Amino acid sequence: MRIMIAEDSTLLREGLVRLLAEEGHEVTAAVGDAAQLLVAVAADPPDVVVADVRMPPTHTDEGLRAALDIRARWPDTGVLVLSQYVEKRYATELLTSGDGGVGYLLKDRVVEVDEFLDALARVARGQAAFDPEVVRQILARSTRTDPLARLTARERDVLAEMAQGHTNAAIAARLHVSLSAVEKHINAIFDKLGLSGTTGYSRRVLAVLRHLGS
Amino acid sequence: MRTLAIRTVRHTVGCALGAATALVELPLTLLCGLALLLAGVRPGATRPVPRPVRAVAAALLGIERRRLARFFGIRIATAPDDARALRYLAVRWTLGALGGAVAVLVVLGIAYSSLFVYVWWLSAVRYPLEVALSNLAGLMLLFLACQGVLGTVALEDQLARRLLGPSPHDALERRITELATTRAEMMEAVDGERRRIERDLHDGVQQRLVALGMLLGRARRTHDPARTDALLRQAHEESRAALVELREVAWRVYPTVLDEAGLRAALETVAERTPLPVRLDWAVPVPPPRQTGTVAYFVVSEAVTNVVKHSGATRVDVSVGRSGDRLTLRIEDDGTGGADPAGGGLTGLARRVAALDGRFGVHSPAGGPTAITAELPCAS
Repeated sequence: MRIMIAEDSTLLREGLVRLLAEEGHEVTAAVGDAAQLLVAVAADPPDVVVADVRMPPTHTDEGLRAALDIRARWPDTGVLVLSQYVEKRYATELLTSGDGGVGYLLKDRVVEVDEFLDALARVARGQAAFDPEVVRQILARSTRTDPLARLTARERDVLAEMAQGHTNAAIAARLHVSLSAVEKHINAIFDKLGLSGTTGYSRRVLAVLRHLGS
Repeated sequence: MRTLAIRTVRHTVGCALGAATALVELPLTLLCGLALLLAGVRPGATRPVPRPVRAVAAALLGIERRRLARFFGIRIATAPDDARALRYLAVRWTLGALGGAVAVLVVLGIAYSSLFVYVWWLSAVRYPLEVALSNLAGLMLLFLACQGVLGTVALEDQLARRLLGPSPHDALERRITELATTRAEMMEAVDGERRRIERDLHDGVQQRLVALGMLLGRARRTHDPARTDALLRQAHEESRAALVELREVAWRVYPTVLDEAGLRAALETVAERTPLPVRLDWAVPVPPPRQTGTVAYFVVSEAVTNVVKHSGATRVDVSVGRSGDRLTLRIEDDGTGGADPAGGGLTGLARRVAALDGRFGVHSPAGGPTAITAELPCAS
């Protein structure tokens, strides 16, 4: 894949470049702030952009703004945003930005090289990738009035996997159940959450997460 | 002797002028009294007093303040309102009368005490004993009149302070405002420091740990033993760097040596850790109380950090001394100057010092050198 990196910490930026190069990816640009990132993407849109949320000059959410901008202007480029904390607001903004091709990971997740590379590949394919921690925090808000409370433990597992952006086949493999069992669980989840059984993969994730994050 | 004479003359002229202003103040007072009587209101109100009269009173007050400052060296910081101005002028004219009387006595004293000289000049001295006695009495009168001038000035001073100066209530109000401000600023400073600590942790320690994790992750993924070995060596280095970083951050949050070994040791550590030569001049016989020591430490360490970051200096002189019940700090460098007292770091320091009722100063002309001074209360 052709990848661009925007990260203000030199140490981490170099680390990411090396890691991705070793995996056989092509890093076409590695920059330290959002403005340079937008210039680089405009010059030569990559398959996917990895961007830190906090970057100079204000160290607030420049990376996120740039990511949303890129999604809007170059629909073929996926964005994977790395964040210091789980910020539900950021996750929601990315989710509602459009149809897949977005990812939101905790920065520390980079340490789990396999998971990071997997998320990157999914975002590049136009799917979604959300950090398990983000999903856990959103699911943790279960109350009795919350329709989530009506899900069985197994359905919750499936929903969590689904919310991270995994396909049905991947969920089946990860939970060691058959594909048809996963489909059955998903239908049950949609019923309980009052969502129409939309087909499109990322639309489904978006619908679920939007509902949970609201 | 000469200065005493000059001062007496100045005071006497001031008293004489005071007598002149009293000539305006007395009718003004009578006029105001009449207006208030006619309106039948309680004392202290100014509304029934016609505006032109109030304008005259304000102008008079201005003249009086200038006279007090110029001839007696009495300066009243606050600007009183109309009611207080009128009340002052209503009493002041009595002192004006007194001042005029003593000024006349001074002139008489001078005339009598130099009697011998005139008589001797004008004609032969026929009754030397009487002239001499008159002369002596004149000298006595002059002395007493000068005492009278001094007494009048003291009365002027007291009256102005009582009626124009800040009342205890005003002083309390000012103090409360001051405390509220410093408290708010202190909170602001604390928040700023917390933000800095958070930034230090994230941009330093966490990044290093993530980089370390990435190195280990890459080491696990590769199947080339030589490569794994190289990556592990790097990871080992990185873990050391992360530990150093963590120590640095912890030190910046609070230097424990301050509690363990006191301010002097903490400042010596600052000097050792600074890349520039830092000369520490320590002249404090008794170690300051803990709170003062903490603020002093942060002032010096932040100021020295600023020097290293911005000034381009080649050396820093830090002196810590004691004058009376105050701890004095001075941090001087030979850099390019132009430090901005309104900048983030310096504002934070000024706030910390203000919260202890200390004084903080930045002297940094363009082209240098820069001197940062602080005085901290140090009651022990």
